[in-house]
This record gives sequence, C-alpha cells and structure tokens, in this order.
Amino acid sequence: MESLKEDLKKQIIEQLNLEDLQVSDIDDDSLLFSADGVGLDSIDALELIVLMEKFYGIQVTNPEEGKDAFLTINTMADYIEKNRN
Amino acid sequence: MSFITACCQISEEACAVNGNVIVRKDEQSADSWFKQLYKELALDYPKFYKMDMLAQAGFLASEFIKKAFPELVSSYADDEIALLFANSESSSDTDIRFKESFQKRKSPSPSLFVYTLPNIVLGELAIRNKFYGENMFAVFPKFAPEFFLQYGSVMLATGSKAVLAGWLNILKGKVEVSVFLIEENKADGLPFNKENIIKCVGLADQA
Repeated sequence: MESLKEDLKKQIIEQLNLEDLQVSDIDDDSLLFSADGVGLDSIDALELIVLMEKFYGIQVTNPEEGKDAFLTINTMADYIEKNRN
Repeated sequence: MSFITACCQISEEACAVNGNVIVRKDEQSADSWFKQLYKELALDYPKFYKMDMLAQAGFLASEFIKKAFPELVSSYADDEIALLFANSESSSDTDIRFKESFQKRKSPSPSLFVYTLPNIVLGELAIRNKFYGENMFAVFPKFAPEFFLQYGSVMLATGSKAVLAGWLNILKGKVEVSVFLIEENKADGLPFNKENIIKCVGLADQA
C-alpha cells in the first residue's frame, strides 16, 4: 500500500505537471482539492480520471464515487486497491 | 501626476526590489529558481505549483512588491487596481511543453493547455488578490515602453487609481521579469514616464 501511495504521488506530479513539487511535499491525508491541501482544480480532476484509467486500468464513471475517491492520496489508494483487476 | 512607486525585477540569477537585490539563486539547491523565490516569500498558496512559469513569474514579482510595501495593495478598492502586462514571447514556453506533452504521451494535457495563453497570468493575479479592475496583456516584437506609458495613462484617466504593470518574458530558461506599480499622486516615487519605465524594466538596450 505504501509503494502504491508513493507511486500515485509520482504519477500525480508528472501527469499534472507539478514539477516543483516533490513526493515528500504531498501528505497522504492532504486534501487534494483544497487550497489548504494540494490546491487541485476541476481541470486536474480530468487529469486524475485519465491517470486512473491509463496507469491502473480503472474507469471512474460515477461522479459521486470519484468525488470521494479523489479526496486524498489515502482515499485514492484505497479506491485503486478495491477496483483494480 | 502619476509615479512608479515600486518595482521588482527577476532574472535567471537574482531578484531585486526597487533596485536592491534581495535573493540570489542558490545553484546548489535541489529546488528550481522560482521555487526558491516562493519559499523566500514564506507563503502558503499551493496553486503556485500548478502555474506555468509565466504565471509564476507574475505571481512572484507581485508578491515581492506586496511584501515590501503591504499598504500599496490594501489601500485600494478591488476595482481600482488595473493590470497591464506585456511580453514578446507570448506563452511559447508552455505552448512548446504542451506540444511535447501530446507528442510524447499521446494525449494532450489539460493542465498545461490552460496556460497556453499569456493573459492567464492576469487571471492568476486577479484570483490571488481579488482584483476586479481593468486588465490588458499585449504581445510585441520587442520591449515597448511607450505602450506602458500610453495604455497606463488611459487606465489612470478612466477610473483606475493604480496600475500593476509588468514585462514578463519566459522561454527555455530565459527569465526576463519586471513588475512595477504605478500610482497617482504619490510623490515618493519616480515620475511615470518613458525613461523611468525603461529604468524599472532594465531593458534599455531593447527600448
């Protein structure tokens, strides 16, 4: 699980072009879409949906489910664990 | 009469406010130059990391001006500060990265795409500072001090009390950033004229 979280952070930094950020800058429980957390926005949500499909083979089709899954690195990792083939 | 009351210049190696160097690039640091400047400001604004370098440049220079003179921005209503920016490279730095992103990854990146217009930096400054005044971003073949003088004067004559202006050129490692504040009836600055605009921007050879 820890390596999945690490991998997820690396993917987010690369796919969302956050090259000034390092893995250590993102806490597992930081709110991804909050100004007090990582500060992502709706455009980044699109990137995360693409990332989930491209790297983990998971299609996020239910917006409500995505909202909960993309809260933090912890919730994303849980979602991947439960849904990947 | 209008005056240039503050200016911030950022090059590839140093950042100066009103002509005084306040930060020099640490070549040994693992952080990028702009991240070093962001850390120097000690701000908590994670959106900074999402911005492209052009938007980061405008953000950093305006924050250094605010840090040095906090009363400058707070003394105006939200629609009294206009934004007047220009450059000669447009958003080419990000345009190239965007092109490379879909050539390399075979899918265009939305987070890069949103920065493929140079005036996005104005939106970032407006969001950060809640500026609702006039704004303009122009692209010229080269540095054009007359543009700042003429357009800035029009802004000040039509309701704006201050103008945050800047020349922001970012391309493949080139960092040519100058942001300056123009205010009315402030005698403690430089008169707002072509010579002083050139002096503030520091591009006498290009003017």
